[in-house]
Amino acid sequence: MQCREFREIADSYLGDELIVETNHEVIAHLEQCAGCRRELAARRELRRQVREAFIKAPENQMRPEFAERLSTHLHDYALGKRAPFTSSSGWRSSVRLSRTSWLALAACLLLAAGFGLMVIRQRMLERPRQPGTPEVAGRQPTPNNASGLNPGIPVSIVKTELARDAAGDHRDCAVHFRLAEKPIDLEVAGRKYDPVYVNLTKAVLSEQGEVPLGAEFVEAHSCVFQGRRFAHIIMRYHGRLVSFLVTEIGDSNEARANAALASQGVQVIACSQFDGYQVSCFQTARHAIFVVSDLPEGDNLALARALAPSVFAHITRAENAA
Amino acid sequence: MFAIAPTRESQVAGEKQWAAFEAEGMPHATSLFRIALWLTRDQTDAEDLVQETLTEALASFHRFVRGTNCRAWLVSIMYHRHSKRRKATTRLHLVSDAEERIAETIAFEPPTPQTVTDEEVLGALERLPRAFQEVVILADVEEMSYKEIAAAIDVPMGTVMSRISRGRRLLRGELFSYAKAHGFGQSGKRRIFGVSEESSRES
Repeated sequence: MQCREFREIADSYLGDELIVETNHEVIAHLEQCAGCRRELAARRELRRQVREAFIKAPENQMRPEFAERLSTHLHDYALGKRAPFTSSSGWRSSVRLSRTSWLALAACLLLAAGFGLMVIRQRMLERPRQPGTPEVAGRQPTPNNASGLNPGIPVSIVKTELARDAAGDHRDCAVHFRLAEKPIDLEVAGRKYDPVYVNLTKAVLSEQGEVPLGAEFVEAHSCVFQGRRFAHIIMRYHGRLVSFLVTEIGDSNEARANAALASQGVQVIACSQFDGYQVSCFQTARHAIFVVSDLPEGDNLALARALAPSVFAHITRAENAA
Repeated sequence: MFAIAPTRESQVAGEKQWAAFEAEGMPHATSLFRIALWLTRDQTDAEDLVQETLTEALASFHRFVRGTNCRAWLVSIMYHRHSKRRKATTRLHLVSDAEERIAETIAFEPPTPQTVTDEEVLGALERLPRAFQEVVILADVEEMSYKEIAAAIDVPMGTVMSRISRGRRLLRGELFSYAKAHGFGQSGKRRIFGVSEESSRES
């Protein structure tokens, strides 16, 4: 081996990245070349110095208060007490936009709002008014960002209070058990309260007994949160607890009006966020279905969309049979 | 049909998960912060990035293969999150012809300085193109292998190898230039190189 060859691979030798044969050649060369030995020692020393200088640099030190806050945050997150990514600056850095971007965003929002109004107006004109049926425009819209994710989907069909109850049930039943009433077996609840609960678990699980996207089944029951009964299937996805909740909307005018929309097929939306929990939802003619977790919004929505087809078919079938 | 598990179980599972993560992942927080600061060049952004990275790592800790390099796994997650935040337009890409150009300009093997200060080393590192700084920091400071670096920054291993080699050579060149500019290494002056200027070209 020549000195030039040695210098080309000396760093790889120091990093222990050479194959055994080349290592032997390097060692043989070093034994007879004092210049390369000095060069190797100097490079080793420089690497040590780069490492120490970088690690010791005052600006590279983590603030102790941040270290403490980080540890507390992660501990709480592990116990399900805290939503992910609630950093000191919130979303400041991730949503920092340039002036041009803000203008573009504002233009998009204006266009989306205009398009949404057109869609609503079109639906009002197309749908025959039924006595007692409230006008679509008169409904309370759910406070959410779903219109941005699913333009044109009527997000107002799932009521805010139902989504809030679903998030509350997830928190008080799946994450911390503090419900006033003990949950009951889902099949028993199906026979006693709502026939769509019967075999609902089978609709969620595949024929092989697996939850879509590799989520893990934890348990299924029926529980009551603030007077509202839910079918509650608990799963674990990406290490986080996820609640799949079904509740009856009731045989109201609104339910009948929504039947036409539901008949168009299943439409899953990222519905809202309550207490740091993401809520994705869809509905059938008489039932609202929620997926609640502290997963990122995209993951929560993806799981809801994976579960929706078979559950929608099951519930619609049960509703029609009733 | 399905047993109703007590939710206490999920709390116990959470505590277990935290204990494992605290032992395996948390010791690397300072390392992650250094890399985050280098990536973002802003302390608050770096803290946010570290928190996001560790939160994501905690959520998917079941996927971490015990016995492998946890720091390299965490750095991969951090790079992934960082690239998502900055989007493709701002992601660092060094085109190959630029790398070739740099390679041509540094064909000379500069000798390695021995007695430079930490400030000089950091200054020289700072003057390197970012693609070279990145791999030198990951390899020499964070002691990641070529393979781990390739996985973390999502470039082929051959590219990592050539960038590290050129990055280190550039670093030595920067320090050599600094030494020359300050009159070190010349005859009769303080000798700061492992080999003399002449001997560096001997082979």
